[in-house]
Amino acid sequence: MERRRPLDMRDVTRIVVFAAILAVLGIPGAISVFGGAVPITAQTLGVMLAGAVLGRWRGAAAVTLFLALVLAGMPLLSGGRGGAGVFVGPSAGFLFGWIAGAFVVGAICRIGSRQPTWWRTALGCFIGGALTVYAVGIPVQSLVTRLPLGETAVSSAVFLPGDLLKVVIATAVAMALWRAYPRAFGAETAAAPRPPAARPKTDASVR
Amino acid sequence: MYRPGGGLLHRTPAGPKLLTVMALALAISLAPASPWLLAGAAALVLGGYLLTGLGLPELGRQLWGLRWLVLVMLVPQAVFLSLPAAAVNVTRVVVVVLLAALVTLTTRTEDLIDAIARALGPLRRFRVNPNRIALMLSMTITTVPVIAGFATQVREAQRARGVPVQPLAFVVPLLVMALKHSDDLADALTARGID
Repeated sequence: MERRRPLDMRDVTRIVVFAAILAVLGIPGAISVFGGAVPITAQTLGVMLAGAVLGRWRGAAAVTLFLALVLAGMPLLSGGRGGAGVFVGPSAGFLFGWIAGAFVVGAICRIGSRQPTWWRTALGCFIGGALTVYAVGIPVQSLVTRLPLGETAVSSAVFLPGDLLKVVIATAVAMALWRAYPRAFGAETAAAPRPPAARPKTDASVR
Repeated sequence: MYRPGGGLLHRTPAGPKLLTVMALALAISLAPASPWLLAGAAALVLGGYLLTGLGLPELGRQLWGLRWLVLVMLVPQAVFLSLPAAAVNVTRVVVVVLLAALVTLTTRTEDLIDAIARALGPLRRFRVNPNRIALMLSMTITTVPVIAGFATQVREAQRARGVPVQPLAFVVPLLVMALKHSDDLADALTARGID
């Protein structure tokens, strides 16, 4: 289990920076798949990465911080949405699901607080970033729109292919980051053996 | 999103306004379906928009902003439920979202952030420092443009080398730059004795 320790300034800024990354991933065109042919919103990708990189508590904190700014009226959700309205609309549950999702991703990726492995990260991103988000989002959507649960689930299935793609991307990004900049994963993983040095091909820091 | 004005809603303090409006929106959203309730809620929203002094053009702008939400919601509703039921459900959601948007329209973001940070005060009991949360909220606002700048930098660097921009080759360098920035930020804050 992840060792509980108080937040130091490094954790504080890491949470802040991840909340900002979530905002930047909402800018249209931030990510293009297949040459921009498939427009995907990358914010769930950010939720998966927050959990995988920061761990459960700090990952959930980063998502909460981001959502607090959205509630305060900043148009940070993809498509420039924001404000109090999105928290009572049909997709409100998905936003709350992000917090739970980041927590679950972190919990699964860091079981035993060992070094990340690709299969644990992929499993965590799928269960946390996709299933958990649906598990909170779909019932709330059904409650708000009064469309029965089953039908709501069916109409939400259109998001599944995109989310599976995001699981793949999030896993690849998390593993590449582990090789390129292991310090990003925080002090809990300090005990884990460091990854082999990144091959030059990884091209991790473009300055 | 905020529109300046001097109406009654603009002068109401942020915290109570947010709480009242969100409680109302939740109540309307979860109350059993009734045409009277819906009509009353619609009248309340209309009255609210007139009270802001921003009037009907603003209400129209907000409605136009919800066109995709209406479309996305209407299609499965019309397929799975009857058309009248779909119309009632979509109207209720639109009314609720318009009601909540009143808070965002009439309150400055800074005031709302202050209200949120103040509302977290009781967390002191659980060894969470509300001042630190306020610091994190304002730090995030200043960090967003920095990270957006990193994103532009990465994209331009890849374009300059003629590499097609793939998600992996974009997000990994972005994260490395962002997390290095986070460590710099932490050092700067610690050096200034902020803890």
